[in-house]
Amino acid sequence: MDINSFMDGLSIALQPVNIMWIVIGGFLGTVVGMLPGLGPATAVAVLIPITFSMNPVSAIILMAAIYYGAMYGGSRSSILLNTPGDGSAIAATFDGYPMAQKGQAGPALAISAVASFIGGIMAVFGFLFLAEPLANFALKFGPAEYFLLMLLTLSAIVALSVGKMVKGFLAMMIGLALATVGIDTQTGVYRFTMGIPHFSDGIDFLIVIIGVYAIGEVLYNFLNIDQQKKEKKKVGKVWFSKDQWKRSKWPIIRSGPIGFLIGVLPGAGGTIASMIGYTTQKQLAKNPEEYGEGAVEGLAAPESSNNAASVGAMIPLLTMGIPGSGTTAVMLGALIMLGLRPGPLLFEQQPDTVWALINSMFIGNIALVIINILLVGLLVKILDTPAKVLYPIIVLLAFIGTYTLSYSTIDFFLLLIFGVFGLFMKVLDFPIAPLVLALIVGADMEQNFRMAVLSSSGSLGIFFSSGVSIALMILTILSLCYPLIIKLVNKKRNNKNSAEEKFTKTS
Amino acid sequence: MLILYSITFLIASFNLPKANLGNPNAPMYFPAGLSIFMLLFSLIYFIQELKNLDKDNEYIRQIITGRTPKLIGFTILFGVVYAFVFNILGFLVSTVLYLGALLFYINGRKKWLVNIVVTLSFSIISWYAFSELLGVSLP
Repeated sequence: MDINSFMDGLSIALQPVNIMWIVIGGFLGTVVGMLPGLGPATAVAVLIPITFSMNPVSAIILMAAIYYGAMYGGSRSSILLNTPGDGSAIAATFDGYPMAQKGQAGPALAISAVASFIGGIMAVFGFLFLAEPLANFALKFGPAEYFLLMLLTLSAIVALSVGKMVKGFLAMMIGLALATVGIDTQTGVYRFTMGIPHFSDGIDFLIVIIGVYAIGEVLYNFLNIDQQKKEKKKVGKVWFSKDQWKRSKWPIIRSGPIGFLIGVLPGAGGTIASMIGYTTQKQLAKNPEEYGEGAVEGLAAPESSNNAASVGAMIPLLTMGIPGSGTTAVMLGALIMLGLRPGPLLFEQQPDTVWALINSMFIGNIALVIINILLVGLLVKILDTPAKVLYPIIVLLAFIGTYTLSYSTIDFFLLLIFGVFGLFMKVLDFPIAPLVLALIVGADMEQNFRMAVLSSSGSLGIFFSSGVSIALMILTILSLCYPLIIKLVNKKRNNKNSAEEKFTKTS
Repeated sequence: MLILYSITFLIASFNLPKANLGNPNAPMYFPAGLSIFMLLFSLIYFIQELKNLDKDNEYIRQIITGRTPKLIGFTILFGVVYAFVFNILGFLVSTVLYLGALLFYINGRKKWLVNIVVTLSFSIISWYAFSELLGVSLP
């Protein structure tokens, strides 16, 4: 690690304007993340247009702040309403909501904020030491390795949509197919443009993302808009007792690194990290019977690990230009728009940007813990704002965001089409992340594939020519077998759970 | 159930023309290979769904019952109208109309005061934020 670039980055991150963006991004992210059904990917997608007129460094800082702000926010609604903002906040409902029901909403919110904070900070340290070596390693990659790495990421994210792998593959392939629309960059051939000139540059993936995540999610939420429950919770004092801290201290410290490592893995992410954080904690606990009834450790552990994962997920994004999750895919899209090309060269060419971002994560986590504890009253009030008012606003933001992309109203129709498409994907239970990921890496993937094949004059043997590529190949195959393993583990766990249920019922 | 059936069919049939499209030489291989896989997986999906045909998807029922289809339909319809009038009426007016229409429709007429306040304040704030602060030129 280079101390000089670190200090340079720190001074950039500490510029008042960047601190302002960190605070604004964190706050906005928290608010959107809090809305039931809307997660970090939606938050980043809807708020992307704000970044367009900014310089790239501030933009990436702002987006990162929105991202982890949404991670903090997601657990607010889990704890208070039992409706997680997104997958990674599900584990927070297990013990967070029972705590709130017992009148301990305040302590629950505080401990989750502090756990997120500590997890995030631990992960930033991990980032500090892991990112640069990984970037240097990735410098040695050729097109064949890149193609395989993208394949691994895609297959991992499909494999993680356990139980609906076929749907995951279909979603991924639709994404790849959408990515082929437009002029082929190697030969100049028009593909699938249906004669519409507007499509010759391809379909802007940000429109698809905004459509699927923002419009699609809102339309999906219409399904039960009239049944959404209203619960008023007294939050009380937002701090925790010494005893609660004592109980959560170790779970938080243990789960941080777990979450971080899971976040670095392609395809994994907050949801898996928080689940694993939770189950590991439960397995280690002396009082497993309290879990699910409002055990403070059961809230602290997943909160720490999911936030650590969100920082970890930035590593493959920045060092290799390969997003590991839906949200980081959205961020990659926005970064490309801004003219930043994440990848191994980013560290050499723009060290300032990278180190400013890393430092901003420290500051951002501090800012968020303050926002989440001091402003809890305000945040709870926002949570009380009727969804019926908020959803139209999200729709409008999506439209404005789309307009700022190309100043064309043709894109509004695309936005609506993809919104409806997203709705059907949700209704039919198709995972969305593979689609988005495939759409974003699709073009690169094809180019790398063709370059690799060209460089070996048409032979596919190049994909088996280096140690790295063979290892990636094996990992891809392993990741495809992963659902089988999970199935076995789940079976075991289910047996155990039903046994536990019987036990609690009889006792 | 019928919807489920037709959508699976649609996905499957969508892939068929795709396989024939594309151009000779290099640009074709990737989409062609892709569409073969796509066809394969849609067939698997189709067969899977055939087995589950008797199971009712609760969400699909929700989507066609009650207020939901109207809500979704009108949101899209208003969106289409918005797209048409956006350049004619300008950002501010069309946004006020669209957001107002959405709010009155979704939130109900009884809460007219909230609707109007939210519509006006959001439209003006977003207009100010984007065109003045962020330098996005809006019609």
